[in-house]
Amino acid sequence: MLELRGIHKTFQDNAGGRWLLADGLDLTVAAGETVAVLGPSGSGKSTLLKIIAGLEVQDAGSVRFDRADLSGVPPELRGFALMFQDFALFPHLDVLDNVAFGLVEQRIPKGEARERARQMLSVFGLAAHAGSRVWKLSGGEQQRVALARALITAPRLLLLDEPFSALDAELRASLRQEFVQRITDAGIAAVLVTHDEAEARVMAQRGLRLLAGRLQLVWHHLHGDTP
Amino acid sequence: MLMPLLERPRLRTAGLWLLPLVFLALMLLAPLLRLSREAGAGASAAMLLSLWQDDYLRWRVLWSFLQAALTCIAALFWGLPVAWVLARYDFAGRLLVLRLLMLPFVVPTLVAAMGVLALWGPRGVLSGWLGLDLEDTPYLLLYGNLFFNLCLVVRAGVDALGQVSASRVAAARTLGATPWRVFWRVEWPAILPWLASAVCLVFLYCFSGFGLALILGGQKYATVEVEIYTLVAHELKLAQAGALALCMLLLTGTVALVYAAMERRLATPARTDVIARRRPAGVWQWACVAAALAVLVFFCALPLLAILARALGAGRGAWAALVDAETIHAVWNTLRFTAVALLLATALGMAHAFAARRSVVLRAAAFLPFVVSPVTVAFGLLLLYPQWSASMLLLVCAYALLAYPFVAKSLGAALDSQPEHLLQAARTLGSSPWRGFLRVTLPLVAPSLRRGMAFAAATALGEFAVTLFLSRPEWATLTTLIYERLGRPGATNRDSAMVLASVLMLLALLVFLLIENPPSGADARGRTTARKELAHA
Repeated sequence: MLELRGIHKTFQDNAGGRWLLADGLDLTVAAGETVAVLGPSGSGKSTLLKIIAGLEVQDAGSVRFDRADLSGVPPELRGFALMFQDFALFPHLDVLDNVAFGLVEQRIPKGEARERARQMLSVFGLAAHAGSRVWKLSGGEQQRVALARALITAPRLLLLDEPFSALDAELRASLRQEFVQRITDAGIAAVLVTHDEAEARVMAQRGLRLLAGRLQLVWHHLHGDTP
Repeated sequence: MLMPLLERPRLRTAGLWLLPLVFLALMLLAPLLRLSREAGAGASAAMLLSLWQDDYLRWRVLWSFLQAALTCIAALFWGLPVAWVLARYDFAGRLLVLRLLMLPFVVPTLVAAMGVLALWGPRGVLSGWLGLDLEDTPYLLLYGNLFFNLCLVVRAGVDALGQVSASRVAAARTLGATPWRVFWRVEWPAILPWLASAVCLVFLYCFSGFGLALILGGQKYATVEVEIYTLVAHELKLAQAGALALCMLLLTGTVALVYAAMERRLATPARTDVIARRRPAGVWQWACVAAALAVLVFFCALPLLAILARALGAGRGAWAALVDAETIHAVWNTLRFTAVALLLATALGMAHAFAARRSVVLRAAAFLPFVVSPVTVAFGLLLLYPQWSASMLLLVCAYALLAYPFVAKSLGAALDSQPEHLLQAARTLGSSPWRGFLRVTLPLVAPSLRRGMAFAAATALGEFAVTLFLSRPEWATLTTLIYERLGRPGATNRDSAMVLASVLMLLALLVFLLIENPPSGADARGRTTARKELAHA
């Protein structure tokens, strides 16, 4: 279970102005739950994900996972996977090595890592693209590669930063369903950041709006509700 | 040793800052301060006034200024139309021409000077044919200057014209402007800042150049840099040389500041509505393409071809120079000094580029070794470290000082264009900072790093000014050997200098090609792929 308590974060822009992104923010995400954080651009949603991932450090407050305090724990040791808005696929690696990247970092021998990545690509229907360069894939395919790369390491938590904003409307709708299914199958908790409430309602059991540095509940699908 | 450093952020940051800053302080700033003290001790305002009242020295200063200014004007006059043709017309071989424009940047100064002599000097390929005698005229130096700087202006022009907005040009045409009026009212104002910045660089290179002026200027048209060398090496008038060097430094510093200010303004995102290149149609447009290529061949290719022609036509006596012990030793010295300098320059350049991501001051500092002429650097080093004046360490460090800004600037630009979130993605996938650097950052910036290293290697390989000041006879490199052969009487010596110059030219090309396009493995993906990768990133 992810627990954020009393997170404070201010941000200084290039012009010297200071912005309050989180002001005593609390958040709890239960095991297997998907929570959506809504808010306009610049409200601090992505920064919140980066704080959870360990890429940004909060000014005050704590981030815990399964009761363990993660203060000072570097991103690579948190066991979370972050999916970026523009996928952040590595352009110098082919599709297979992109997916195998995290396994190699877990010191799994390269051959075995590649074999597991190949299997993952088959599950995602991308086996034919294993040797392709990532920029040759379509937007939807790149998105799937990014999810496969994130899920292959069996992360404890999946962080999704506007995962569909770079895609067209039709593709977005079809991928949403696929993502929900795959995340549910993986059985992991997820935090989704988006400005699209319709998308959030499809994907998440709970929706929260980030306003003035705090989270407000927008909806909560009770057990048995279909999102 | 590096790994633990990279794993600890504070140590990492301090290490990155310290390495280039300490190096610059010891190898550049301290020698310059020592130089100003030398100049100040012997002189002051009275000394400067006496320098100015001396007809001979005043002419040297004025001529240095004049030849740089004339080169700027000529480079613009010839370079702008050529750039326009290359930017607007699409024809077979265009990309090759653009690539060959890099050639003068890797050719050692001394080789260029030899090329000009082979073409226009005594018994030159063209001067002999046309019956011209250009010795003791300013044209040899101006032509040599154009060999290097025309390509710079053309490249800047092509880049600048690529930034012109297609929609603005189209708007001007629909508002009734002829193509010529469109150029003056829309394209020219848009490319002016780029051209001004290139002209500043041309001025700097010509004003502070040494090798060309030494070989091609002769008695009458040598520049202040040559005068400083003569005062130090032959007349031992250190105070006078110091005063002159200080004057030069003030002037080049001023121009460099103007250049730096312009560079900042040019840091704009690339345009998407670029003007599409079209295939030349009709005799007139093809004639323009042919004329542009002819200009490039005349100024940039003929000197190199002339060296080869003169070398191939040289007698057996001249070719025998290739295998004598002196030459083999010089080649060995050239290669080992270059190798060590390249290693040092790469380490310094990488540290500088990574540290400069967080500091505007450090970013500007990478430009310092370009601003100060090699002669001034060498003279300052001699004054500051007289006990090490014949030390190989000092010589190699001086090489590295001149070479490492190429690595820092090339790598810095690549790092700027690399999105931060790629490294963040690697971190969330389990990479430590060190692993992230190895697996993500380094492969992505490798093409730019290699390019910077190629220029650094070419700089070290053809270094001449610093070597003349700091080298010992047994450390003769190919450049000093060529210069020495050129000074010996007799046609055979002159021809053997040509043979050695062609060897140096081929060596510079080989090193450049090897580093920039290594022939194996993943590194051999080629620049096109690398460019695609960065564009994608």
